[in-house]
Amino acid sequence: MEGIRQTQKKYGSAALSFAIITGFIFYLVGLVPICKGLILGTLFSILNFVLMGETLPMRIDRSKRSVFVIALGSIFFRYLLMAIPIVMAIRYEQYDLFAVIIGIFMVQLMLLADHLLKFFKDRIKYKN
Amino acid sequence: MEFYLQDWVPMASYIGAGLAMGFGAIGSAVGEGYTASEATVAISRNPKISDDILKMMLMGQAVAESASIFGLVIAMMLLFSKFPHQTWITVSVLLASGISMGLGAIGSGIGSGITAGSACKGLARQPGFKDSIQMNMLVGSSVAQTPAIFSLVTSLILIFSDFSSHPVSPTWAAILGAGFAAGFGAVGSGLGDGLVAGAACEGAARQPLAAKTTLSTMFLGMAVTETTAIYGLLVSFILIFREVPATDALAPAMALLAAGLCMGIGAIGPGIGEGFTARSAVTWIARNENHTADITRVMLVGQAVSESTGIYSLVIALVLIFVV
Repeated sequence: MEGIRQTQKKYGSAALSFAIITGFIFYLVGLVPICKGLILGTLFSILNFVLMGETLPMRIDRSKRSVFVIALGSIFFRYLLMAIPIVMAIRYEQYDLFAVIIGIFMVQLMLLADHLLKFFKDRIKYKN
Repeated sequence: MEFYLQDWVPMASYIGAGLAMGFGAIGSAVGEGYTASEATVAISRNPKISDDILKMMLMGQAVAESASIFGLVIAMMLLFSKFPHQTWITVSVLLASGISMGLGAIGSGIGSGITAGSACKGLARQPGFKDSIQMNMLVGSSVAQTPAIFSLVTSLILIFSDFSSHPVSPTWAAILGAGFAAGFGAVGSGLGDGLVAGAACEGAARQPLAAKTTLSTMFLGMAVTETTAIYGLLVSFILIFREVPATDALAPAMALLAAGLCMGIGAIGPGIGEGFTARSAVTWIARNENHTADITRVMLVGQAVSESTGIYSLVIALVLIFVV
């Protein structure tokens, strides 16, 4: 499980750093709700990713049917949590809804960005 | 028991939210469960790299889950947003948004799960090429999310558009039709995309030297597989944005609703069928790279034939919208 914790740390910290830096830029130009929304969404995205990793041992070495039930239960539990920032953004104007939605996908965006960067770096290296 | 419009609007928002999240959770749950079961197989084959397989599974599941997070977003918006215009069109908008997002997330969730499962199996076979397998998985499963994104876009357009100047009849039916077209239309393509991306992950593991060719064929196969979801999106946009004359007759309204159903349901089969074709092409190019040109030609011809039923549905949908 140590490898998983390292992965969570790597992408969690990358997502939070990116959200804070981007949010700070929005803060400087006066778009405070976008800044707050982005950071709020990202925090919940990281929390969701961490919880996903923590439930992994429960889903290994089980039959297909029990894996399905555990995965469904895990989704519903984590989604109750993910609903919090969206409800906050809809209810309170101090959080921008679209920034919260982008924040919620920040970990996935970091995963993809990291691998795409690696891919293009390797291609440039290979060409040189 | 009598129902009035002020009762129907909150009722429609609850039903819409239930559909968005309920259907939206199916695909991701099945996909994640499939990934986990394939990871179990992979670990039993190569227990030494169980940590790497678990990491691959976690990343794959994170992407597979995006589809149902889209569903969650729309469900929350339907439940907690305030809708200023309380008309029968609003009732239709709320239901259609939920239908579009809920159904649209099914295929992408399962598709991304299939991709991640194949990546776990591939990693067990070829641990030395972890990076290229991971790359194929992340790019492939992200592309498999595109049909769900089409549905998300349709739902958001429906929620944020102002239909107050449109006649109630037949606009209510056009909007419901748009929800069905975008929602059902995304099911087949999402699933088909996942099959193709899964084959690319297995291909990268089977023949790492052919990874580049496998990846290119995967993109080509997925692009064609997605066309039926694009037809669904196109029909839903026509139904949303086309000005329709007011009428009290039920037949024109039913024609618009049927157009959405026709295109949506008609897109399911071709999406999956084209996915099967491209999956085999990618699998066999990885085994026999020297015959890439022949295999690609057969793949494109096969996909074109499979696509024809989607085109028939598109034609009938357009006839229902513009001619009937």
